[in-house]
Amino acid sequence: MKLRLAVFVAGASLLAAVPALAHHSFSAEFDGHKPVRLVGALTKVEWTNPHSYFYIDVKDDKGNVVNWGCEGGGPLALSRAGMKRGDLKIGDTIVVDGYLAKDGSHLIDARRVTLPDGRSVYGGSPGDGGPPDTSATSKK
Amino acid sequence: MTILQICQWLNDSPVGTSIRESDFSFDLIETAHVLGITLMAGTVAIFDLRLLGLALTRDEVSDVAGQVLPLTVAGFVLMVVSGTLLFWSEATKMYFNPAFRFKLVLMLAAGLNPLIFHRTVYRKVSIWELSQRTPAVAKTAAIVSLALWTSIIVSGRAIAYFH
Repeated sequence: MKLRLAVFVAGASLLAAVPALAHHSFSAEFDGHKPVRLVGALTKVEWTNPHSYFYIDVKDDKGNVVNWGCEGGGPLALSRAGMKRGDLKIGDTIVVDGYLAKDGSHLIDARRVTLPDGRSVYGGSPGDGGPPDTSATSKK
Repeated sequence: MTILQICQWLNDSPVGTSIRESDFSFDLIETAHVLGITLMAGTVAIFDLRLLGLALTRDEVSDVAGQVLPLTVAGFVLMVVSGTLLFWSEATKMYFNPAFRFKLVLMLAAGLNPLIFHRTVYRKVSIWELSQRTPAVAKTAAIVSLALWTSIIVSGRAIAYFH
């Protein structure tokens, strides 16, 4: 009987551990202590599940252009945050506030995206355990 | 056509693209996939625990099998249909994903296990279930099954953690 209970409890806790919203946790890939702001021209948009990706050309200190990937929420998360697919046009300069990848690659977690028209949209995945959106109360 | 080319073709097909870029389908299919796995692996576990003498011991092994198997099949169908659609939408990414490749091997093993079990030791279930003593081979199959399905679920979750 004790073993049966143990098996049940183990099973129940495994089920409870399955995240309800996020595809994977923020901390699996990104470092919450390394915030970054990237400004650059949009080169590619992947409006896809389970994550969307925006690619922008960013100039570094030496003037070299580096293409960065910005990982954001899926299509539903972005639409609900107020961003439509057509809002992003290739060549547009956008500002992305996010966090650097732990592996040092040119990938960031896009928490907030500012569009050319000045609109600022939450770009992250809801419920991924990442840092809170500090600019949530700023201009819409 | 290589396997990679088939994956790219599936990935870029209208069905794959529409699921990948959808607002709701992807999430709904993902939910169905988890429910399918729960039903399939859950009912498989009930039968495995019965073989090990840890659950439903007042019922005969074949009784438990008869009651649980239809649910296992239902879970299997839901799991395979939803899993196929999810793969369809991300086929190119999955081709390169180590966790997905590992999961495929595990699924093959998890499929072979009951095939062997039902063709060998289970054929004589009506004899050994009367003695209340489950043969060691059947218990081994149960442990292998529990281990495989647990690993399949873990490696399925791990897919999200690889690029």
